[in-house]
Amino acid sequence: MRGFGAFLGKELREITHTWRIWGLPGFVLFLALTGPVLALLTPELLKSMSGTAGMSGVVIQVPDPIWRDAYLQWTKNLTQMITWVLIVMLGAMVSGERKSGTAILVLTKPISRPAFVLAKFVSNAGLVVVSIVLGALGTWVVTFAAFGEAPVRILAEITGVWLGFAIMIVAVMSLMSALVDSQLGAAFLGVGVLIALTIASMWGPALEYSPAGLLNAPNTLLMGQQTSTLWPLVTGALAAVVCVFGAVWAFSRKEL
Amino acid sequence: MSVPAIELTGLSKHYGSFRALDNVDLSVPEGSVFGFLGPNGAGKTTTLRILTGLARASSGEARVFGTSVADVGNDVRSRIGFLPDVPGFYDWMTAEEFLRFAGSLFGLSAPVLHERAGALLDLAGLTDVHAKIGGFSRGMKQRLGVAQALINAPSLLMLDEPTSALDPIGRKEVLDMIASLSGRTTVFFSTHILSDVERVCDTVAILDRGRVVAQAPIDDLKSRYGAQKIVVDVARNVSGLERRLAAEPWVSAVERENHTLTLTISDIEAARSAIPAAVVAEDTGLIRLEGGEVSLEDVFVELVGGER
Repeated sequence: MRGFGAFLGKELREITHTWRIWGLPGFVLFLALTGPVLALLTPELLKSMSGTAGMSGVVIQVPDPIWRDAYLQWTKNLTQMITWVLIVMLGAMVSGERKSGTAILVLTKPISRPAFVLAKFVSNAGLVVVSIVLGALGTWVVTFAAFGEAPVRILAEITGVWLGFAIMIVAVMSLMSALVDSQLGAAFLGVGVLIALTIASMWGPALEYSPAGLLNAPNTLLMGQQTSTLWPLVTGALAAVVCVFGAVWAFSRKEL
Repeated sequence: MSVPAIELTGLSKHYGSFRALDNVDLSVPEGSVFGFLGPNGAGKTTTLRILTGLARASSGEARVFGTSVADVGNDVRSRIGFLPDVPGFYDWMTAEEFLRFAGSLFGLSAPVLHERAGALLDLAGLTDVHAKIGGFSRGMKQRLGVAQALINAPSLLMLDEPTSALDPIGRKEVLDMIASLSGRTTVFFSTHILSDVERVCDTVAILDRGRVVAQAPIDDLKSRYGAQKIVVDVARNVSGLERRLAAEPWVSAVERENHTLTLTISDIEAARSAIPAAVVAEDTGLIRLEGGEVSLEDVFVELVGGER
């Protein structure tokens, strides 16, 4: 693992010195801050539509929004938009430096290829964790301001469970981008994995024991339904380890 | 006898049926500035990629200071500096940041790193440049490329076409940098620009279609392979002399400039007796008759140019 620390340092400086510091964190924070506001305003918007042309006589009854609606926006953003953004963004995670030629300058120095791949995984997983924690914090603040109530524990649970899923996605994308040079191609494979997990989540045993169970877990937890996330988290972590090892193996075999 | 800096034994690299390298044997003496010369596509970059661990040989062996690059890659890479033909930098870094990053990959301590980064920025003429690398010219990037390859004070510096895309000023700057390293480290320098090799290298290998066709000190190579040249300067009737000599079987080419003929010949003994006789026969009056200088270009063309 020679060179891991030095290269991880470069990766972290790259995040803070380039657009990446604004990209994912900015997007997540935007969704996190606007979600509760949207939850607050949606019923009013729907009610106001009842008086518009073509809707006369139609009475729309919507219950008053509560903190749960704001958190629902947050889980919806996590499981849908942010997951897709992660897959596309991380499509060039390993291959990007190969295509730009920077990997050649780096890997002709005494840094091992496993260290190169692991530093990429750790830095990107770190960026995801920080972005999501900031987003959760933002959602909590705005939810509390808008609704006067914002339970911390349930927000921490749904965010934590989804982070487990997100880290697995980072690992999956490290493998895909080590296998495929094209960012679009790697993203396409990542979407394939997501679709496979979505299909698997319709099957009971897969929902209970595989990482597919993490897809719906945030919503299930938020709705107060009985669910165990232990096995999905364990198998998700195992899948992440396998993917990272696969990425190391694939990248170590590549000629640059 | 010291261990060669680079030793290639039966090195081959195949891409399907295409042989990029075909049973290459090569020995680069320690301390030399070695020119690795060949036309585009000859296999120079492939050789360097194998030596730096970026690619694997199909067969044969590549050794750096006696150690196989396939067995202990990181240990070998600790002793080398490498500049690829088109170096890719992190555009968001400054030159100093990149040198510090490169040094950190070698595990250099902070004081050593500080000292070397300063000295190398000075060598590359980038001391007062505080702009991001993204705004650098091609020449500045190439000079930084040479500097980063020297950050570990390498025993062997490998440069892949370091001047090929530079303007004359950029080329001169990079060649001056390479020339300044003579005697301090072994330099293995791939190029297709003959004048660059003649300017900075003491030994040369010529690679053609994946095979080494010659390897020797430049002067030996010129005398061994270069067709002989003779310059004849006459007072009059140069056209008659040109016609007579061009018809001789041992003359392969005649170049004329005013009253001077430069003959490329294949048989020096025949030329020695026949040229004075031809001068007398054509009554040209002899002003000068001397051996011409053989350039590396002549050797190169003779070795690799004949079938093209």
